[in-house]
Amino acid sequence: MPSLSFSPRVPVIDANVCVGNHHTEPSPCQSQVQLLDEMDHHSINRAVIYHAQTEEISPTDGNRLLESWLDEGERLMPQWSVTPTADALAQIQALHREGRVQSVRLHNTQSAGLPFRAWGYDTLLSWLSEVGLPLWIPLMDVEPHDLITTLQAYPDLKTVLLGAHYTHTLVVRPMLDTLPNAWLELSRYEPIGEVESLKRQYGADRLIYGSWYPRYAMGPILYYLHHTDLNDDELQMVCAGNVEKLLGI
Amino acid sequence: MIDGTRVIDFHGHVGRWEQYGMNDDPARMLHAMDAVGIDVSCLFHIFHPDGTTSNDLTAKFIARHPDRFVGFAYVSPTMPERMLPELERAIDKLRFPAIKLYPPYTPWPFNQAPWHPIYEFANKRGLTIIFHTDHLENNRPRYFEDLAPMYPNVNFVAGHSGNSPEARAEAIAAVQKYPNVFLETCSTFRTPGVIEQLVEEGGADRVLFGSDVPLMDPRPQIGKIITARISDEAKRLVLGGNAERLLGI
Repeated sequence: MPSLSFSPRVPVIDANVCVGNHHTEPSPCQSQVQLLDEMDHHSINRAVIYHAQTEEISPTDGNRLLESWLDEGERLMPQWSVTPTADALAQIQALHREGRVQSVRLHNTQSAGLPFRAWGYDTLLSWLSEVGLPLWIPLMDVEPHDLITTLQAYPDLKTVLLGAHYTHTLVVRPMLDTLPNAWLELSRYEPIGEVESLKRQYGADRLIYGSWYPRYAMGPILYYLHHTDLNDDELQMVCAGNVEKLLGI
Repeated sequence: MIDGTRVIDFHGHVGRWEQYGMNDDPARMLHAMDAVGIDVSCLFHIFHPDGTTSNDLTAKFIARHPDRFVGFAYVSPTMPERMLPELERAIDKLRFPAIKLYPPYTPWPFNQAPWHPIYEFANKRGLTIIFHTDHLENNRPRYFEDLAPMYPNVNFVAGHSGNSPEARAEAIAAVQKYPNVFLETCSTFRTPGVIEQLVEEGGADRVLFGSDVPLMDPRPQIGKIITARISDEAKRLVLGGNAERLLGI
């Protein structure tokens, strides 16, 4: 029964949260305390966080800045960004040796001027496949053709496709059809009835809740998921279970 | 109905736009509306500049569920000889209670002369007009500051509340200056705090819930209102109270 108030009925991990300021735009959330308060307001237990500076400026510097956002209570789980330079890969591999990497996020391939093709990314994608780390990929930053054809060559690599928009409607199904190790994150995906339709076609185990806060508010997609045909087991998978498996937690 | 409040979605479409997943299947729309307690959706068809084709398609659509859908009239100044006869037909014969205008499909900003016959018509009849608004030249909310004092019997509604931060500020400024300007909430921009800003700066009695159904699923869009940090009283006005007042339904 819809109500004027809302809180989730399953544990929730937000799989897509950005912290820190972009070079062009200060964030409305300036501290770890503010971020945890926002998560508490929406009853979100944990969040996968990456630093804004990794999006268009520097994955390696952004990763260093991410350290200051991590909390002792482990509600905030770091996601380290990477572009296929020797320095960036060395940074991620060092963190991995320390046991601190659960997932990796791909730096914007278009602003980097390096198309997402094997000739540019093979070293990175081969290593991620070898060590079993999942790769988060913002869809707005990668050409769909490159995404599909490149990832098909790395069948063991698990990926989370981020930020599908209604302008991606016609490519979402080909991506999920051709990439059986890909999950779809739902922060921007609003075509009518698509959560239920994708669940029927691919299963709730291919869908993941993320908000892309603070680009978007944390609550609306979470509210949406709680008002679909997902049963409680499926809702639990989408809101936390699927990402828990990917992160190995 | 949500906690005794009749919920009216002020912004929706008739028609299909497959590349974006827009599908006006009434069963799909009603399923989404029912899941979150939306009683009535206001719909318009904007793809035919003659107006007549669009309005007949809207009338045919709402006739299947007249208790759940309300039609708004559409005309375009690109076919000026058709505007007023079609408006008379849509309002008097089809019984549409309001007008939708879409400046992006014309060469003219909506404060320019080709649009004014529509405003004169609406002013004589005390009608509500909802506009697409954003930051582009044809669609700037600042034009309401020209129109609102000139046509005091018209209620001007800024669809999407301008969408971008700078255009949203223009929309709020117009609302603060003139009692016959209103803000509508649908947008793929689900920025944190935007609903709170509209209510605090524009006033809860001037904000209308809209979803853009079926271009977008109405569930995340109503989730913006439900999960916002505003009072229950404000939520009731935004979700339906204000729309009832404007439309007299």
